[in-house]
Formats: sequence, structure tokens, C-alpha cells
Amino acid sequence: MRFIGFIAFAVLLFSGCSKSVEPSDEIVKVISSCGSSTIVVTDIKGRKKSDGFMQAQVSGENKSNSYMLLEYQVVWFDKDGFKIESLLSKWKTTPAYANQPFQINAISPNTKATTFRLYIKSDKEVICDEQYSGQ
Amino acid sequence: MRRTIQWTVVLLTLGVIFSGCETKTTNIDIDNDKGEAVMALDYRDFQGAATDMIESLLASGAVDKKDGTRYVLVVSRIINDTMQHVDTDQLVKKIRVGLLQSGKVVVTTAVGIDGAEDKMSMKTREELRGNVEFDQKTVAGKGSMVAPDLSLSGKILQRNIRVDKKTQRVEYYFQMSLTDIKTGLAYWEDERIVAKRGSNKSVAW
Repeated sequence: MRFIGFIAFAVLLFSGCSKSVEPSDEIVKVISSCGSSTIVVTDIKGRKKSDGFMQAQVSGENKSNSYMLLEYQVVWFDKDGFKIESLLSKWKTTPAYANQPFQINAISPNTKATTFRLYIKSDKEVICDEQYSGQ
Repeated sequence: MRRTIQWTVVLLTLGVIFSGCETKTTNIDIDNDKGEAVMALDYRDFQGAATDMIESLLASGAVDKKDGTRYVLVVSRIINDTMQHVDTDQLVKKIRVGLLQSGKVVVTTAVGIDGAEDKMSMKTREELRGNVEFDQKTVAGKGSMVAPDLSLSGKILQRNIRVDKKTQRVEYYFQMSLTDIKTGLAYWEDERIVAKRGSNKSVAW
């Protein structure tokens, strides 16, 4: 009986070593449109360059007392509102130093882009979701 | 009888233990991969470096041809100076795709540093020209290939630095140049650094 008890204990002990490769909660949560108390987007603008590419510039400020590594994504759309698939629309990172302004610069993947949508997230929470329309 | 039951329990237990330790295989969501970083170069590093390079190249205006036509690009030597077996196409292919999608550049596969990347362009000419089995109007004529205007070259470097007894730092440098073939002048150059810190026991090759 004691032997069986030992076996049961061993099972419990070793079952803890099974590795979980499932990612934790990866679903991002939209708080509000650029309404975070620590990250504030102060300006968002775009322009069409002479070579036809669209350039985006986003200015913001990290109002917290700690350094943050922000993740951002710029999604580009053509004049009909269709998304332009590109490697340039992958999530990227930008540093936001404590109590300092930060800038994000992006260039469109081709000359067909007329609008863009910007997402900024920190710790899986979308803290900015802003669309720039027009040229 | 009692001994048989004991052995059965032991074998069952071992089965449960070892099946529990097995790492499950799952597909990685490459658009949101929060997996552990590795000391070697992985797809996230190549993707990040390629994205930065494309963005830098397009923003520089170096691929904007004033007459509105597209530049013809040839991929030159991309040196792998790391301790890893890296297929440099992991970087270059992404850059090529990005440039092609920009509508400003077209890549030639008929010329390459070690011969044509796709030998079929030349082979079809050699084998089909004058061959009565083929309609000669469909065979590429003489002088129809387009020579490249620009050449893309680069290097991936690795530096291993021992921080202390337990820690090491590995630095990777992605360096690229875009040269105007006619003048030999580099119109665009850039560098991206990927640095990793980890255990001395990790092997970065």
C-alpha cells in the first residue's frame, strides 16, 4: 500500500515538468483611442513625397517615470480603402524614455497608399488606435 | 500475483511520467510570437532587419528613378561572416520582395555574382534559337535582356563578447549597400544591430 502511495506521489511530482508552450493571453485589449494616461499621442500627420511614397510621422510623449518599449504597427490603405499587404506593416518597436517625447516615422510600402492606421501597444494593450485620412 | 500488480503499476507510472515531460508541438503565430529569444539569429531578427532596411531604402529616395520607370537591381555578394550557417536569402529575399512591391525596382535573375540566379533565361535562348521545333517568334530575340542599374551587396557580422563567468553578449551587424553600377557610387548604405545577452552555456552558432 505504501509502495502505491509512493508511486502516486512520484506521478504528481513529475507531472509538473510538462512544458506548456501555449502562449498566455495574446489578445490585445483596446483601452481607448490614444487615451492612455502614460502614453499620449500629441500629433499624427502624413504627407505624399515627391517620389509618390507616403510618409507618416507620429509624435507623442511618455508621461510616466519609467522607460517604455512601445510596439507599433502602421497599416496602409489605398484610395479605395483596401489594405496594402506588406512586410512594412509588421509590429515594430520604438523607445519611449521617461517623461520625454517620442517620434515614430514610417514610409508606405508603395505609391498607392493614401491613408494609414496606427496602433501602439504596450504590454499587449493597445493604447492608441488612430487613423490618418487624406493627403 | 502481488509482484505482477507492482510491476504493472511501475510501468504505468513511468509511462505517465515520460509522456508528461514531452514538449508539445504547436504552430507559432509568426505575427505575434512572444516566444523566448535565442542567442542565434532567428526569423524575427531577419524580419526586423529586412523591414528596417526596406523602410530606410524607400525613405532615402535612392530607388526613385526620375523618368518614372523602374530601376533594375541585381543582388551581389552578401557575405555571411557569422559563426552560423546562415542562408543570406533569409534576409535578401525579404528585401527583394519589399522592393518589388514598392513598384520602383525590378530584380534581374539573369545576372549574378556566381552566374545567373535563374539559368533558364540564357538556356532557352541557346537551345531554342534556331530550333525548328519552336515558333521563333516566341523565342526571346537578341538584345532583349535588360542590364542592371543597381547592385545590392552586404554583410552579416557576428561578435561574441564574454561579459562575466556566466554571461555573454552576441552582437550581429547587418550591413547593406546599394551601388549604382554605371558610376560605382553607393547611393544608399545602412546598418542594423541585433544584440543579445544570455548564458555562456548558450551556443550562438
